[in-house]
Amino acid sequence: MNALEVRLNTFNKLTEETRLTLANLADAAGDLTVPSVRLGVTGLARSGKTVFLTALVHNLVHGGRLPVFSAASGHRMTSARLKPQPDDTVPRFDYEAHVDALVKDRVWPESTRQVSELRLTIDYESASYFYRKLGPGRLHVDLIDYPGEWLLDLPLLNKSYAQFSAEALQRARAQNRSEIAGPFLKAAEGADPDSEESEPVAQDLAARFKAYLTACRADTHALSMLPPGRFLMPGDLDGSPALTFAPLDVVADAPAARTGTLRAMMERRYEAYKTHVVRPFFRNHFARLDRQIVLVDVLHALNAGPHAITDLEIALSEVLSAFRPGRRSWLSSILTRRIDKILFAATKADHLHSTDHDKLEAILKRLVNRAEERARFKGAEVDALAMAAVRATREATVKHKGEELPAILGTPLPGETLNDDAYDGDTEIAMFPGDLPENPELIFAQAESNCEDARPSFQIAQSELQFLRFRPPELDKTAEGLTLSLPHIRLDRALEFLIGDRLA
Amino acid sequence: MTSPNSPSGRKPTAFRLDDRKVRMTDDDDRAPAAGEALITQAFMEEEEPRLPRAVSTPKPGFRFGKWLMVGLSGLVSLAVGLAIDSLIRDLFARTDWLGWTGVALAAIAALGLLGLALREIAALLRLNRIDHLRDQLQEAADADDAKAATAGLKELIGLYQDRPETAQGRKALSGHMREIIDGSDLVKLAERDLLSPLDLEARRIVMNSAKRVSLVTAVSPRALVDLLAVLFENLRTIRRLSALYGGRPGTLGFLRLAKHVLTHLAVTGGMAAGDSLASQVLGQGLAARLSARLGEGVINGLLTARIGIAAISVCRPVPFISGNGPTVSEFMGELVSSAKENEDKKTD
Repeated sequence: MNALEVRLNTFNKLTEETRLTLANLADAAGDLTVPSVRLGVTGLARSGKTVFLTALVHNLVHGGRLPVFSAASGHRMTSARLKPQPDDTVPRFDYEAHVDALVKDRVWPESTRQVSELRLTIDYESASYFYRKLGPGRLHVDLIDYPGEWLLDLPLLNKSYAQFSAEALQRARAQNRSEIAGPFLKAAEGADPDSEESEPVAQDLAARFKAYLTACRADTHALSMLPPGRFLMPGDLDGSPALTFAPLDVVADAPAARTGTLRAMMERRYEAYKTHVVRPFFRNHFARLDRQIVLVDVLHALNAGPHAITDLEIALSEVLSAFRPGRRSWLSSILTRRIDKILFAATKADHLHSTDHDKLEAILKRLVNRAEERARFKGAEVDALAMAAVRATREATVKHKGEELPAILGTPLPGETLNDDAYDGDTEIAMFPGDLPENPELIFAQAESNCEDARPSFQIAQSELQFLRFRPPELDKTAEGLTLSLPHIRLDRALEFLIGDRLA
Repeated sequence: MTSPNSPSGRKPTAFRLDDRKVRMTDDDDRAPAAGEALITQAFMEEEEPRLPRAVSTPKPGFRFGKWLMVGLSGLVSLAVGLAIDSLIRDLFARTDWLGWTGVALAAIAALGLLGLALREIAALLRLNRIDHLRDQLQEAADADDAKAATAGLKELIGLYQDRPETAQGRKALSGHMREIIDGSDLVKLAERDLLSPLDLEARRIVMNSAKRVSLVTAVSPRALVDLLAVLFENLRTIRRLSALYGGRPGTLGFLRLAKHVLTHLAVTGGMAAGDSLASQVLGQGLAARLSARLGEGVINGLLTARIGIAAISVCRPVPFISGNGPTVSEFMGELVSSAKENEDKKTD
């Protein structure tokens, strides 16, 4: 990297910061009339962001059971309703369709393909005398939904092409991935970075790279650390040069690439990807958050085995390093927004009996350990919990063959199998998913010791723990035919932590 | 493969509910037959969340009493230090500012006294307003007069304006008032929407204090201790109930409230004699099941509950229209069972 580039980078950073500050100033001016909270829902693909948002809005709007959320349980919240969102260029989060899918058809929403936004306005009365006298309380909560795959791009912002290549290839050659990455690795090793640039070669490499990333994501492997994210969920840029690149075998600290070589071409496209895809995404949706909830699907990774767990840990700590936690102060909230409260949530806790929730929480804490310490150090408030935004199961105890098993009752999704028994999506079952370990370190220790194990990791896990996916619950109706709000686990605690203090 | 992952070695399993060998049951103690799986479903907790405690705790206001004390003790110390009034005058002659200090302190004392008096008056007025409101709403409900009911309910909403935990109820009630609803129904709706969370909390307060009294009576060594505990507990309950329903009585107001409660008790006392309760408590039904000491405790607890109930009807700004309000027999079951539990614990 030459001196000019370094200077350009610093310049880019400066303009970036200026833009952010301006946007924050505009927000702060808007907040003078009605305060708003930008709630960032962060989670890798399939961690349940869309379901979380839908359940949150549904429970607030329909007055669901939220005993721990003091504004609602203290009868201080007078109404919560949907309002037109502030950004006119972002699609609206299709809340009604998602609710319909959950309640009527009892299916989970499809995976998100684009960014969408929603504004929820809450009317409340403050518990403090002083604030009540200042006028009626009102708070806008801005919610954003986006494909979780794209989150993996954020760490790329600080990486050069050479760094990206080295890391991507190192991961692909790792023992647990080399088999899946075979075709891509062969092509990548065959391509000479210093040869003349050629579109077909680039396309072939990119296609193989994409195929390898997609295969890693399948249920049997459930790996998470798969940047760049647009390769998995391309959005509207599919096929453009910015999405047609792949890592190459570049020698570390090699001199700058000559123009016209394959390497120079890839490098240019990688930079274009960063400038035109990643940076706007980050700037528009993540750089200006007030509160953040990080959803982690621990159970999905546990299902696939120890490698998936370590991969998840790496992905989370890389992604979370892109955010800006910190204490909120009067001045800082005008110029630079900082995330002053972060909640880590292990989602889908309804797939377990409540006796295991504490263990799930312990595993989650171990997973996000690094990010949590960083946030605390910077002065943000941090909490972790096991939750289910929509509770698909009920709890039960099964007595069988002299054993008493803590079980859950629910209807598995069609196609889910356990012990070679496939379910059709209509049968209700009582299920015992296995015991989570008391000590979360055991799971991580296993990941290290299993590196030499030749068997695919999912087979090892299968015998100990198995979590099935369940269909959304059937909702009871009241005598008047009204549908009750969606049941949940600890959604109220999450809400209290995230926005409770703004409604105090 | 054996693994450290699951210490008990329990493997994941699933049971189809439509399987013949799987049965659902509510009975915890039943044992499954051979090869059969027995499923007991857990209950979902549906308990109504409590209002925050702060709602029923009288808020510490501005301490006018303190001012009075500051002023008076300041004056006294001045008087002692300068050997009475003449010395003050001497001081005025000698150094002006010391004299003025004395004057200022005297002024503060006067201000404190004034504040105290004002607050007492305000509290009395508020209690008056609540009494008046109750009568007004009772009349409106009896006459089924929508206009009078609306006026009364507006005043009620005004009374609770400063109570954020009633925001939801107030909003619902204002919505009802815009619709065409008969007078007595409006009052009933007010009871349901606005007062039911408060009623629930009031019931809990009375229940808890009755339990405490019965426990103290059962374990206290001397009758005098009982007496003091019961007195203290009852006064506290009245105070908390009044704060809960919006009364916030001062000292004088509290005395008046206590008097009201006593009159109310005397009036309803006659009726209670015919209540099935008396025969139940005094009959062998209960006495046979409890030891003498414990029976005494339960009876004291029930008396506390009675006082609590009287206090509820005195403090509540809306008369009981849709229901009869809490009755002693509602409290009795829980009181007896908690007393028995304590006894069991003691004998263990």
